[in-house]
Amino acid sequence: MGSRDVMAAERAAERARVPAGTITLACVLAWLVPGGGHLYLGKKLRAAVFFGLVTLSFVLGTALHGRFSVIDGRQPLLSELQVVACLGSGPMEIVTRSVLYGAPVYKLPDEDASDQGETRRPRTVVGKTLRSRTEASNSAYGTAYLWTAGLMNLLLILDVFDIGIRRKD
Amino acid sequence: MESHFLHLVLFSAIVSTFFAFLTRTAPRERLRVGLMLGVAMVGLSLALAWVMYPFP
Repeated sequence: MGSRDVMAAERAAERARVPAGTITLACVLAWLVPGGGHLYLGKKLRAAVFFGLVTLSFVLGTALHGRFSVIDGRQPLLSELQVVACLGSGPMEIVTRSVLYGAPVYKLPDEDASDQGETRRPRTVVGKTLRSRTEASNSAYGTAYLWTAGLMNLLLILDVFDIGIRRKD
Repeated sequence: MESHFLHLVLFSAIVSTFFAFLTRTAPRERLRVGLMLGVAMVGLSLALAWVMYPFP
């Protein structure tokens, strides 16, 4: 391929590139609704499949007492990563968390955070709800589904970005 | 649903389908990668469980 052909290919790729604003909007949509970014970029089949898989995983996680983690000062890094995994699912996570805890709480209240032992009884709604869900027999399954839903959706945001910059189809 | 094995199969199905659609565009390739990932996840989990069985 000659240099003229290379330049022509580069110009064609530049023309085909999605504008930065469109990519940003697609990434935001991808977080708001699983598969939303793909739908916006015209990938309808992938959008439907991703929506179904992420939503199914999230619903299973919620139904099976998955752990909607909060930042706990006793385990800061681990609990922050858990919150990121939860938040990856988008607004449906915020709504479900609000229903469970009575508000979109992402930090363990000080009354519970000061407890040193696992045997101490939680005092706040957040602490009590978290404890009861964690002690449920199927909580480990639910947590796996719940965090996986969030992590899959975070991957979808990156995928939408890659499609936007034409790194992949 | 309390069966650990059924959860393993369901979880593997969800994740393998997700990655098949994420990494491949041709339908036949998606099917091949999805099946390969699903079988690998279930098979390796069972193998690991078998290896860990003697440990308390």
